[in-house]
Amino acid sequence: MRESSTVPEDVKQRLNWLLIFVVICFAILVISLWYLQMIKGEEFKKRAVENCIRSLVEDAPRGRIYDRQEELLVTNRPAVVVSIIPAEVDNLEKLSERLSRIIAISSEEISQIVKNYRENPFKPVKILDDCKTNKIIEIEERKDELKGVVLELKPRRNYLYHDFAAHSLGYVGEIDKEELQRFGNPKFQGGDIIGKAGLEKYYDDILRGEKGGKEVEVDALGQEIATLLYQKPVPGKDLVLTIDKDLQLYGENLFFGKKGSIIVSDPNSGEILALVNRPSFNPNIFANGISNSNWQRLSSDADYPLTNRSVQGLYPPGSIFKVVTAIAALEEGVTDRKRKIYCSGSIELAGQVFTCWKETGHGSLSIVDGIAHSCNIYFYTLGKDLGIERFNEYMQKLGLGEKTDIDLPAEAIGIIPSAQWKKREVKEIWFPGDTINLSIGQGYLLLTPLQVHTIICAIAANGEIYKLHLVKKIISADGKTVMEIKPELYKKVDFSPDTFQIIKEGLRQTILKGTGWRANIKELAVAGKTGTAQNPQGETHAWFIGFAPYDNPEICITVFLENGGEGGEAAAPIARAMLEKYFNIKN
Amino acid sequence: MKEKLDRLTENLDFSLLFAVVFLCFYGLLVLYSSTRLATTEGGDPYFFVKRQSLWALLGFIFFTIIIFIDYHNLERYSKVVYFGAIVLLIMVIFAGRATYGARRWLAIGPFDFQPSEFAKIALIAFLADFLSKNKQKLDNFFYYLLPFAYTGLLILLVFMQPDLGTSLVYLAILIIMLFVVGVKIKYLVFTFLAAISSIPVVWVFLIKDYQKNRWILFLNPNLDPLGGGYNVIQSRIAIGSGGFLGNGIFSGLQSQLNFLPAQHTDFIFSVVGEELGFVGTILLLGLYAIILWRGIKIALEARDLLGTLLAAGAVSFLFFHIVVNIGMAMGMFPATGLPLPFLSYGGSFMISNLMAIGILLNVELHKVKW
Repeated sequence: MRESSTVPEDVKQRLNWLLIFVVICFAILVISLWYLQMIKGEEFKKRAVENCIRSLVEDAPRGRIYDRQEELLVTNRPAVVVSIIPAEVDNLEKLSERLSRIIAISSEEISQIVKNYRENPFKPVKILDDCKTNKIIEIEERKDELKGVVLELKPRRNYLYHDFAAHSLGYVGEIDKEELQRFGNPKFQGGDIIGKAGLEKYYDDILRGEKGGKEVEVDALGQEIATLLYQKPVPGKDLVLTIDKDLQLYGENLFFGKKGSIIVSDPNSGEILALVNRPSFNPNIFANGISNSNWQRLSSDADYPLTNRSVQGLYPPGSIFKVVTAIAALEEGVTDRKRKIYCSGSIELAGQVFTCWKETGHGSLSIVDGIAHSCNIYFYTLGKDLGIERFNEYMQKLGLGEKTDIDLPAEAIGIIPSAQWKKREVKEIWFPGDTINLSIGQGYLLLTPLQVHTIICAIAANGEIYKLHLVKKIISADGKTVMEIKPELYKKVDFSPDTFQIIKEGLRQTILKGTGWRANIKELAVAGKTGTAQNPQGETHAWFIGFAPYDNPEICITVFLENGGEGGEAAAPIARAMLEKYFNIKN
Repeated sequence: MKEKLDRLTENLDFSLLFAVVFLCFYGLLVLYSSTRLATTEGGDPYFFVKRQSLWALLGFIFFTIIIFIDYHNLERYSKVVYFGAIVLLIMVIFAGRATYGARRWLAIGPFDFQPSEFAKIALIAFLADFLSKNKQKLDNFFYYLLPFAYTGLLILLVFMQPDLGTSLVYLAILIIMLFVVGVKIKYLVFTFLAAISSIPVVWVFLIKDYQKNRWILFLNPNLDPLGGGYNVIQSRIAIGSGGFLGNGIFSGLQSQLNFLPAQHTDFIFSVVGEELGFVGTILLLGLYAIILWRGIKIALEARDLLGTLLAAGAVSFLFFHIVVNIGMAMGMFPATGLPLPFLSYGGSFMISNLMAIGILLNVELHKVKW
């Protein structure tokens, strides 16, 4: 009945080899088990009963931040965290009772925190952050009766000058659930500190470093007896900013009690020397885990101290925008150096009467005078002659309505109204009156102060717009330069040299005899433009943009005062003070 | 039918069956010990045991079905089984349920199952059919590469989940089956050398940074002292502290403290070691040895090459899991996340284990013509 097998002999041979291999593997397993359980058994039993292995995370110190002269702005200080290791606690109620007598947390609260945590009983549960020195000493002294309590040293962010450049620097905080889900394991774990705003957020990957940790054996009293594994944390890299600490501080003091922004940058590289935003806040309160009341106070403040006005705030630019109108009109041949327009104080255009800010009128004006005196009638006329389509083209060429790509998170893009935009958003057709309003920077137009700043940068550098940035270089913890941020051309606009020349003359005349006279400095040729923007929120916004020296621009400046009044009166003197500070002119 | 049953009792390998049933009960006991204190919805201490028992029963149903279908039918359906596995694995990638960043599960009604487990059985069936038909042609090196392509497709799909451990199981099954079918040793050596020398190329061009991290951790768990390395150290202490007789079931100090996140799945061997000692672990190894020894014997006595290869495939699948899992628990291998046959908690795995046993008994039963 049974047939002989047809399995080839070489296969049977191979199966015998497989059997031998299986036997060898099993023999190795048996020998290993013998070694582990019979020979080492007693030793391991002791370790299991008396000793525990504790794994402690060692956070990497975050990279420091320096100003352009490599003066320290942000660093880390050691903070002590009081934690409890649940697996080592004999009697939680008693321990909480004892601990609460030292730290100002009720014993019920302590035991509740420990009970609520049930992931890994060998992982320390945080009870108190940033414990004060005298309490640390007390805990150390009573170590014997506080079995299960551990003190962990954690680096804590320290902003040396408190609210200094707070919006640019940003702040750090514990990773939240949403971020944890988005970036997740293995990069982050709950409780990790990450950048939440500003440069801290934008450069988080560079600043953060890699955390280390160690496995230590502890005896029954919780004393470390041996380190089994140790991985050194890799400190984060440092940032050297383009910010000049003295200039920034000077600007912040000028703006004390005011609302708004000052931007100072080098038009030839895009490096930002000062980025003042007021009102400000102290990022140190975030570093310790912000309290609920502090958060309520900051986030519900009507003055929005957390908002980085220069990159997130949207405002009508007012008369500042006349330079854009002028550029478009000159390039399109709507006007030239010679064309004169008569200002009687008001004009009827497209069936509507528009008035100049100077009720008595400016008389007959060339474009240079039109800019210098900021004559509305002159620019209404140019706007009407241009038409919205051609006008829009030039806004686009200048990069308005786009991000400037500054190295800060959450940049706003603003609103550049066009016929299509109005149809889509307002559900109305575009009227000629809209173009006329736009020609003096009013109407639907909204820009960030940083976008406004790129206009003056483009003019100062004859059309070369460099990417605005705040970081000059990245250096490793041992001081080596890892990366140098080179000037990067963001946009090149090819307007004719004549156009730039006429605009620059207009800006120079503004300072010499026009609305910007308060920014005039005897020792320095300043060029600039003022703006007073009407807005639905109340008092007008005061603007000033400018550059200096006139012949060979070194820096560009934008001053913006939210609800600050008249540009010439309020913003120009601040620009003057900043320029004097930068060029070291004693007054 | 009566004749069939007679032949069944006459030919059935009872020592193998006994070892499997014993192992299942042994596994349920250890599983109960390691999960009875785990907090689950409703706080039922038998939660895991009840579910695992259900999987085992389901597995025995599959097992019984497999036994009665003569393996010679494989000629007709081995390709269907293989392509079915591929379709399921593609479905996992697009419609799978993700846990801990990996997509491995497909939901059928209230239950989730893991197609990559069934793909192991499918791979064994497909390779056995293919290799038995083409034994002579495998002397040609290019023909020899063909089964690598078939298996490579499965490996790729599983690797995308990502599930490194399972893709290694596929590779182990392929290599052992190729060895058994009698391919030239120099081909296998060549393949090994080629694989090693291609690592730098794959590393630089094909693997993304986050995957690299996974590989680095896989090769050296000590780099992540709070992850894999932690488990291995604790596992060694648990096994070692068991000594000769163990601390007694339900009284493992480390096991009961619930410090190992995977002590009812990948690290269940450390619970055996701590609570039942050297006696318990040797008993376990002995039961596994019976299964593997009987399995190889069945392969040797099979009626034809197809039967031999099926049995060898089933043996290689169980063997690889056993050695890697126990080696991992003792810290001899990096933590790869391969479960231990018949012991680790998990429905799809339990069922695929019993299907492998079904294959062995099927080959055994059909060694004579009915």
